[in-house]
Amino acid sequence: MKLRFHWMFPKGGEVAMKTAQETARVFTNTRTSPAALPDMEGWVKFARSAEDAGIESVLFSFSRYEPDTLISACAMGRATTKLKYIAAYRSGFLQPATFVQQVNTLSALIGGRVALNIVAGSSAAEQRGYGDFLEHDERYARAGEFLAICNAFWRGDEEVHFDGQYYRVEGGKINTPFVAPDRTAPEIYVSGHSEPAVRLALAQGSCWLRLIDTPEKLRPSVRRARESGVEVCLRLGVICRPTHEEALRAAAALLPGEEVGRQERSRLNKSDSRHFKEALATADIAEGWMNRNLWAGLVPYYGSSSVTLVGSPEELAEVFLEYKDVGVTQFIISGLPKLDEMVIFGREILPLIRKAEQRERVPS
Amino acid sequence: MNLRFHWMLPKAGEVALKTAQEAARYRLESRDDDSPSAVPDMDGWVKFARSAEEAGIDSVLISFSRYEPEPLMSACALGRATTKLKFIVAYRLGLVQPPSFVQQVNTLSALIGGRVSLNIVAGSSRAEQHGYGDFFEHDARYARAGEFLAICHSFWRGDERVDFDGKHYRVEGGQINTPFVAPDRTAPEIYVSGHSEAAVRLACTQGSCWLRVADTPETLRPLVARAREGGVGVCLRMGVICRPTREEAISAAEALLPYDGVGNQKRSPTINDDSQMYREATTIADVAEGWLNRSLWTGLVPYYSPVWTTLLGTPEELAEAFLEYKKIGVSEFILSGCPEVDEVVIFGREVLPLVREAERRQEKHAGISP
Repeated sequence: MKLRFHWMFPKGGEVAMKTAQETARVFTNTRTSPAALPDMEGWVKFARSAEDAGIESVLFSFSRYEPDTLISACAMGRATTKLKYIAAYRSGFLQPATFVQQVNTLSALIGGRVALNIVAGSSAAEQRGYGDFLEHDERYARAGEFLAICNAFWRGDEEVHFDGQYYRVEGGKINTPFVAPDRTAPEIYVSGHSEPAVRLALAQGSCWLRLIDTPEKLRPSVRRARESGVEVCLRLGVICRPTHEEALRAAAALLPGEEVGRQERSRLNKSDSRHFKEALATADIAEGWMNRNLWAGLVPYYGSSSVTLVGSPEELAEVFLEYKDVGVTQFIISGLPKLDEMVIFGREILPLIRKAEQRERVPS
Repeated sequence: MNLRFHWMLPKAGEVALKTAQEAARYRLESRDDDSPSAVPDMDGWVKFARSAEEAGIDSVLISFSRYEPEPLMSACALGRATTKLKFIVAYRLGLVQPPSFVQQVNTLSALIGGRVSLNIVAGSSRAEQHGYGDFFEHDARYARAGEFLAICHSFWRGDERVDFDGKHYRVEGGQINTPFVAPDRTAPEIYVSGHSEAAVRLACTQGSCWLRVADTPETLRPLVARAREGGVGVCLRMGVICRPTREEAISAAEALLPYDGVGNQKRSPTINDDSQMYREATTIADVAEGWLNRSLWTGLVPYYSPVWTTLLGTPEELAEAFLEYKKIGVSEFILSGCPEVDEVVIFGREVLPLVREAERRQEKHAGISP
């Protein structure tokens, strides 16, 4: 099977932004930021480029600072024909039956081009602002019940009955089916590094989504997921330039000023997500270099998902194939800026990977 | 102020049907598992939307049930395909946390130029509510709906942070950065529907308009007066059958009665057992063959539902009937026909010009009188 490549969807206004610094969360999380509004013009431009670059899906992230992901995916899906949308959703905010009805309706409107990234929660403060007061591990227990009910609807059970600790459904029925050329339920990416997150991915998901780490570190947990029949998708940033040295210089140029860095750090420290804490710790050792190509130097400023592969097209193609050897099947990539880096990826790296994958299939 | 006229969005698949009988039967069977009405119908809906815009219709109501596509999504797709028509999205409270709901509605508003209103429904049948995971009883649902809307309003007012500690909801430091975006509003219009005392109270305290099924002007007068004193508009739901003569209108109406046998099996009011509107409807249709007055007929109610209370007659009769409702304080209507697209065209061509002409005359008259 070929590796599957997805890209992070830009925030509202981001496609028109000139510098990476403008996209730092200290700015995009403010009430007056254009990131709070849908940006159909910039988004459609980005989506067309993604389709041209050979990107399969884009991930819409979920937070109180951004437009709703499912509604945005509906508008974007109606404006495109090929690109798929992975909508992130926090599972504690609505009843599973309602969620299924929305997702199914969306699938029917956009030719089934929707997948879900189920997130159990983020910072306690943000969760409370959404009316959710459960603690970290309990949120995963609830997400497990949530997905069990959703999956019962998607299996096409005549009537859905569920009596759990967090949800109760009696005679549940949603007439609108999930509509797609090749599936009867959406792919479900479950993200998180904690043990409850991994267990949830294995039990109810189709793919475990986590931050990138070195292939050696990932090997055992990837094997565990694959043995349970679940795919593994890594989130990462990419900086690709003609030579290793040019890529390093481009990476260093992305480090923001001290004040932005200080504010970002203090914001990230408040999170109760294991993702964030692990990533921050990594950024402090060896100037953030985890191996020759994997750099965590941007994490204190752009968040834990900005652990970045840095190098030339040949280096990066080889690195992606190393992850494939370990058992990783998909990647959700980000760039600074997202659009430029995606164009480079589609032009320089992806053809090398596809060529190597073709060679693999022909036994010598 | 001019009366505002809205229309029901046809069920998915309905616009392609040829005859009124087919359309009526299609609606009767729309709850069946194999009904195509569960899957969005962009071709038919866009065709209807264009006709509605041309007819002078303000908004279309997209209903909510487990038998239909989800209305916020449908409104998003339709709103992106149109430029003028507005969408009243029905939503059952209690199935989602208020901040997520506000985030979805605000995002939708920004994507379709603010052309979205809400029809808040506290619930319908117990069976359907239980299937959605909601086990509240009738009055408790309205109490919860009051808290829900109070939280929504706090977001829409632009409160720096939303804090709420109620019996049913708790929010701490709530913030949704995406605002409600519209040329002329910072929050959606909110139609609260229901016939019970709890529904009327909720409409007056948290809504902008009370939505109910049509009845005679005499019966409605005190209720409408009370809502208007409460500072909210009143919107009536009804079916419409307009034909060149009264006789033609009556035979068109009678032709919609289901065939023998089918009708009796499909009497619907008991389905929504936890709704006062449906309980009332079981009694009214049995009087005087369903004629509430010369133009208002409930003959279809036992077979379809209370919202099929139908105003029928000639263009002149109907225009006059709408103006009578206006006199007692009704401000808006959500109409329905069978098939929807044919009746909306007739309404726009025959009835609406007469209503507007009379409103112009009245305004002029009011302008010169001392």
